[in-house]
Amino acid sequence: MNQAANSSVDALQEALAAEHAAVWTYGLVSAFIEQQGPAVAEGANAHRARRDTTERALRDAGLQPRPPAPAYLPPQPVDSAASAMAALIAVETDACAAWRGVMERTDDQARRKSALDALTQSAIRATRWRRTAGITPAATPLPGTAVG
Amino acid sequence: MTGRTALSRRALLVAATTAPLAVACTTPPPEPPPPDPLADLVRAARADAALATAAGAAETAAARTRHADELQAEVDRATPRVPGTSSSPAPAPAPAPVAPPANPTREALVTSLQTAQKQAADLAVTVPAHRAGLLASVSAGCAALVEALA
Repeated sequence: MNQAANSSVDALQEALAAEHAAVWTYGLVSAFIEQQGPAVAEGANAHRARRDTTERALRDAGLQPRPPAPAYLPPQPVDSAASAMAALIAVETDACAAWRGVMERTDDQARRKSALDALTQSAIRATRWRRTAGITPAATPLPGTAVG
Repeated sequence: MTGRTALSRRALLVAATTAPLAVACTTPPPEPPPPDPLADLVRAARADAALATAAGAAETAAARTRHADELQAEVDRATPRVPGTSSSPAPAPAPAPVAPPANPTREALVTSLQTAQKQAADLAVTVPAHRAGLLASVSAGCAALVEALA
């Protein structure tokens, strides 16, 4: 396998790791934001689906998808609605960065389309959580970049 | 009479032999570079910023100005310098004045952001990899701005 393909696979594995973390975190926070139940379920379902398609893409390329970690560390202990939403904003932000990484490291158009969709959906959910949490601005100008 | 004719002949001969040389030595004007597809996105971002300002959406205006600046920086980076001109980079042209938006409503702004999202998304799939990240972030950023206005 050449270097570009290697880099593209690494980027996809990193995106998978971000999806694993998101699935785990949505499960963790659900008890703390029960009034946000539908939005939590929607986010959890979207990340599970993205995780599954990413694992499939790796297997189709003859590669072993990396397994999830036993647990993930939220930016702060989750013990309230506010810290729950902060954890969700963090995993959506991480997912944006990981999927932008895929965009930058593949020339495969189908993979880029899928990565862009993942980046966009995570950016929309991050915006929704930031607005719910009362954080301004709700939308970051450049999702996927370190500075937003 | 005869001398003048001879001179004329010589002059003609010199002219005839040097003319092709002169042509060969004249540098043809450089071909103008093909328009950068990102330039359209810069214009759209600046127009959206003006529209957002008129519609009272300051955060959207700031975000679209940021998009315009980042995209313009990439256009400038990729624009080949004309050889023979000053080696220092030319100062960035002043942004073209944006006509005041005719219909400064939030609905018009959302429609425009959706168009911008799709425009950047279409390019993000086909451009060289080093541009794909920026275009993807601009596209996702427009989707986020629509969500923030909802």
